[in-house]
Amino acid sequence: MSETQGILVAQWDGYLREGPGAATGAVPIVEVEAGGHELEPPSKRMPIGPDHILYPIMIGLALFPILMGAAGPHLADDMPEEETHPFFPDHFWPYPVIMVAMVVAVGLLSLFVRQNMLLEQSADPKAVVTPRPDWYFLWLFQELKLGNEFITAYVVPAVIVIGLLLWPFIDQLGGSRLAARLGWSMWPVPGRNVITGTAWVLFISFIVLLTFWALSGVTIFGITGG
Amino acid sequence: MAIIPHPRQIQTAVVDWLDQRFPFTQSVDEALYQRVPNFANAFYYCFGGMVFVLITLQLLTGVFLAFYYVPDASGNPAPAYSSVNTITNDVTLGWLIRGVHFWGANLLVVMIVLHMARVFWTGSYRAPRELNWMVGVLLLLVVLAFSLTGYLLPWDTKAYWATSVTIQIIGGSPIIGGLLRDILQGGPSLGPSTLQRFFTIHVFILPALVILLMYIHFRLIRRHGIAEPL
Repeated sequence: MSETQGILVAQWDGYLREGPGAATGAVPIVEVEAGGHELEPPSKRMPIGPDHILYPIMIGLALFPILMGAAGPHLADDMPEEETHPFFPDHFWPYPVIMVAMVVAVGLLSLFVRQNMLLEQSADPKAVVTPRPDWYFLWLFQELKLGNEFITAYVVPAVIVIGLLLWPFIDQLGGSRLAARLGWSMWPVPGRNVITGTAWVLFISFIVLLTFWALSGVTIFGITGG
Repeated sequence: MAIIPHPRQIQTAVVDWLDQRFPFTQSVDEALYQRVPNFANAFYYCFGGMVFVLITLQLLTGVFLAFYYVPDASGNPAPAYSSVNTITNDVTLGWLIRGVHFWGANLLVVMIVLHMARVFWTGSYRAPRELNWMVGVLLLLVVLAFSLTGYLLPWDTKAYWATSVTIQIIGGSPIIGGLLRDILQGGPSLGPSTLQRFFTIHVFILPALVILLMYIHFRLIRRHGIAEPL
């Protein structure tokens, strides 16, 4: 520590003794749990230490861990080094690239595809219009035409929402054990059981087929699409 | 002799002072220099990050749109409708801001579906991450509520009639239907008070909800770490 630094630290010590913290003797040092993570050795880190001019930016980054709290025990801690890589920069660099790519993509879309955004006439309660929802609600729009209104409008959406919310438990209870006993464990994705896997695939197909039905406008069993 | 400290020494002293109050340096080191499993490099692990980027973009462009948008549906053409036209045609770069908000909303739904597909594919909703899956489903519902309420704001014909059908369906639901319709509609029929309420929901309630839920989502991710694919 240089002479100047020593003086500055001494001044801080003086502040700590006589300042607002004087009554308790010293400002308590706050510690976050280290979590026992193995970090990159200092030789592999960025050469930006506390005395570097860019260090304030790094301190700004600390807002992230302050908000997010201590990290829990992570898989990488127990993995051999050749199966892991450092977060910075190896894992970090694609994200700025992705961010710029997405901003450019929506910018280009707004520049060249205007017709989707065009407004119709100002709303008129007296006009009679058959509305069509956005594309991601088309399946629901089509599903409403399928039968009894109470079932299509309330029961089916409620079942879907509750099913999605409770999916981890459905997956755990509704298949794993039986599927494991029968040896059904490779479909539709490796390590998954055939029962809840099939349920998932059926659900996706239901949404996709209804969407295409609504888009195509084909009449099936007397029910018009779209 | 007066000693003038080098700026670098002042900075070091400030960092020391900060570190004594909160372990900033240690937090930065932990955030940046942790090791990540190699399997997390697969391209499909980035969809969640893309959703985050898009939501941030929606919040930013939404604030800019709110500088000019007028949530008033009285008269014909209504000020709400005219203000959206003004944003698109007259305001400097207004077409771009509205375009990014519009296309961002559509891309957001695509990215959320891809993110959910990834979480299903890698089985990441399993113990101990069930809670975070549920928070994610709530986030999906909030985003859908965003698009429902946002759809009405331009106050053109298709917005009006689509919302009319939505409110009709919601109002018909058993037990709480009437109450929900009164809350959403704000009057005997779909009119200016409805726009006022949809605007308030879209601009105040849902952003607060989405930020809170994203915060919980990310804290849980940080707690659990990245999931091992099955």
